[in-house]
Amino acid sequence: MADVKLTIAGRPYDVHCADGQEAQLIHLASLVDAKARGIQGGTEVRQLLFAALMLADETQEAQTKAGSAEPQLDSLRAAIALAESREAAARDELRAAVSRESAALDQVKQAAAREAALTAEIEKLRQGPPAAPRRAGPDHGRALGQIADRIEELAAKVEQIP
Amino acid sequence: MRCYALVMELDEASLAIGRIERALSRMEKALTDRAARPALAPGVSATALPAADQSALKAEVAAVIGELDRLIAEAERG
Repeated sequence: MADVKLTIAGRPYDVHCADGQEAQLIHLASLVDAKARGIQGGTEVRQLLFAALMLADETQEAQTKAGSAEPQLDSLRAAIALAESREAAARDELRAAVSRESAALDQVKQAAAREAALTAEIEKLRQGPPAAPRRAGPDHGRALGQIADRIEELAAKVEQIP
Repeated sequence: MRCYALVMELDEASLAIGRIERALSRMEKALTDRAARPALAPGVSATALPAADQSALKAEVAAVIGELDRLIAEAERG
């Protein structure tokens, strides 16, 4: 415990307080002393009574102000919560958009790679062996077969001419 | 697998060409034999086929030649 010497309304007081609270106690005593000194005339007890009443009035006023500020504080808290929620949603949306963008970019890259491979393949085919003789395709083979059928029929008819 | 398919295609075309060559030889032989035969009687036409059949035969020959020309042109174009 700490010993503190206070002077309020011209009278000294020896009081005790918890260690470390001395400065706060002296500050509070100075507030009471200022109120008591502001009251002119009357006895010391009367001065202290009015000082106490004035401090009680200030306390009540401060409490009223704090009470009226409470709904505003609630609104502010709600607004902050809403803003934080929107910020989180916006962040999620942004993250999803970045993800989609990244996936689209990958697809574009893959398409470009496929296109490059196809272009290379086409170029390779274009630069293929030019000396190779042109071969009959399956359609030509079939068409030749059909013509052979018709010529064989013609030959049979010619052979049957007396 | 692709080489195998190519061989098959070539075989199909080669077989068809062989068949065409053989059919043409048969026709040439038949026409040569017929030209060497003496006419049966004066005034009788060398062709014993009816006129309609003759026209049909000519039309078929022209059609086959046209088809061959078309095929050759197509093969040259690739």
